[in-house]
Parts: sequence; structure tokens; C-alpha cells
Amino acid sequence: MNLQIRKDLAYRRIAGELFIVDSAKAEMHELNGPAALIWEGLAAGKTERSLISAITAEFEVDEKTACEDLEAFLKTMQKAGLVSSVQPR
Amino acid sequence: MKQVKKAPDAFSGSVGLAIAGFGVEFKSDQPGIISVLKNRYPEFASAAAAGHRFETFEVSGRQNPFKPAVVLSGSSLKIKRGDFEGVLDLGKGSGTLKAAPNEQCLDAFLRSLISFLLLRSSGFMLHSAGLVKKGKAYLFLGKSGAGKSTLSKLAAASGAEVVSDEINLLRFEKGHFRAYGSPFWGEMRSDGRQGNWPLGGIFLLKKAKINRVGEVRAGEALKLLLRCLVNFDKSHAAAELVLKNASRLLAKAEFSRLEFSKADGSFLGLI
Repeated sequence: MNLQIRKDLAYRRIAGELFIVDSAKAEMHELNGPAALIWEGLAAGKTERSLISAITAEFEVDEKTACEDLEAFLKTMQKAGLVSSVQPR
Repeated sequence: MKQVKKAPDAFSGSVGLAIAGFGVEFKSDQPGIISVLKNRYPEFASAAAAGHRFETFEVSGRQNPFKPAVVLSGSSLKIKRGDFEGVLDLGKGSGTLKAAPNEQCLDAFLRSLISFLLLRSSGFMLHSAGLVKKGKAYLFLGKSGAGKSTLSKLAAASGAEVVSDEINLLRFEKGHFRAYGSPFWGEMRSDGRQGNWPLGGIFLLKKAKINRVGEVRAGEALKLLLRCLVNFDKSHAAAELVLKNASRLLAKAEFSRLEFSKADGSFLGLI
């Protein structure tokens, strides 16, 4: 997983939900549940393995489901232009 | 933007304004801008206004691009539209303003400047109606068509003081939010007045057949709050401030939904 959150985005957890403000596009995104957990994990630089572990622990889903959820979420975020690929060092 | 030639009989004048607790002073050798400001903001004139001083120059220019661009570079703030360009050194509190001498132009400049300053004072400029009841201010959030003007007119007809039917100004001071008198109005086209009141609550506005107050989820309140925010600064730092201030407002203020009937001002009994 070589993805990172766009540096110009502002985000904050408010009232249990995570809000992302994309000022360049004047858009706002709202994440909750596993999506918010993954976003914060990405922001903290967590690995794919640790993100899957966090999802299985927090939401009582099996590893296969967590893996699929993670992949689907990341695709959605890439499509929305909120995360981008980075070259491995 | 072309500079307008100075009139032969050189005019020297100044006007100070106090809006949301921010002092803004304009000086000019030309009569147009000072005259427009004095006529447009009579209730916000303040001899003691200080804080931000602009040497002003009259220019002709079209509004295009219509949306102001606000850029902060170091301590230099630039606010620009087709018909104005303001540059302010925030450290020194002084700068220049080149603008067309008309109300629309100067109104747009002041909205851009005050919204920038409010965001950096833990506050907001919000598309909303604002009323005073029993010494407290109540804001009613809504985009166009939500009923801000209707509600404001009904409230005024019932004897309540309207702070603004279109744009209200919030600041966070000594642990509490306060609403400030606003010179920025919509359909009611009032001058407004200076003053400030503790914030009593914020309502999400909805037209209905009967009056009713209901609960609202924090996420829903935040979404509408951000949609009603007046902010021309598209920087990352501004976005961070928006979320920080919004988080504080949600924690400090009571948010509810107000469904109101346009029959009369009886909804005031629910506030």
C-alpha cells in the first residue's frame, strides 16, 4: 500500500465523525465507522497489515472482509482525489 | 483596472468603521470611496476605529472575476476582485485599497476582509438570520430559500430586533460565543447597528405548516454550518481553522431545528 493523504486537506473528528475539507475544490467529505478509522490510520502512516488488524479489532469483522473493505475504501478515496500513490523509497 | 485621475480640488478625508469589534480606517485624497462608505455604513462609523488602516485610491474596474480571492503570504494579506485590490500588512496594520467607488464593490471588500479576520478570531461569518430575544442572540442557518428573510420580517413585525436577515458575525470571547451587529443584509436592506450579544443558540431553518423545534444531529448541524460559512480564503490554513472553530462552536452552542410557519411570528415563542 503506497498511498498517502493529500497534504492540502484539512480533517478533524467532530462529534464522532471525521470531516475532510478540500478547500481547493470547495468540497466537504464525511467519514464514519471503518472509513474514519482507515483515514486516521493512513494519516498516522500505518501499514496495510496494521490497518486490517485495527478494523477487525474495532468492528468485529473477519480479516477477509476487513481486507475487502480497506481495498474498496482506498479505491473510492483515490477516485475522489483525496489520496494519491507514492513511489516506494 | 485603471486609476481614476485625481480631481483638481483635492479632497482629503477619512472614515473609521467598527465591525464585529474590528476597526477599519480608510483614508483618501479622493471623495468617492469615503463618501460611499459614510453613506453605506452610518451605524458602523466609529471615530475610535483602529487596527487596520487603508490608504485608498479610486479605480474603475469590472466585477469580473466576481468571487474575491484572498491570499495570505507571510504577514501580507491580499484581497482581490475585478473591481478592487486590497493589500494589508497584518503586522503593521496598514495597507492600500484600490477600489471602485460604489457600494457593491466596497461591500464585497469588507465582507472578504471581515470574514478573514473573524476566522482568525475563532469566529465565523455565516449566511443566516439573526434575532435578539431577552438579551441573547439566536442564529438561523439556511441557504437561499430556507426562509431567512421571511423569518426575519415576521420577527421584526412582532417587535423582535433583527441583527441581520442575511449575514451574521460570530466571535469567541472569554470562553463564549457572541454575535455582533452586522452591516451586511439581504432583502430587508437595513443599516443594522453596532452591538453584541451572547449567543443563545443556533437553529437549522426549515419552512413548514406548523411551528416546531426538534433535535438535530451534530454531524447534520456541522454540514449546514460549513455550507453557510462565508469564507473566500481557500488555503489549507483556513480550512484547518474552519474545522477547529466549528468543533468549538458545536461544543459550546446549542443546535436545534426550527420548523416555522410563515403565517406569523408565533415561532418566537419556541425560541
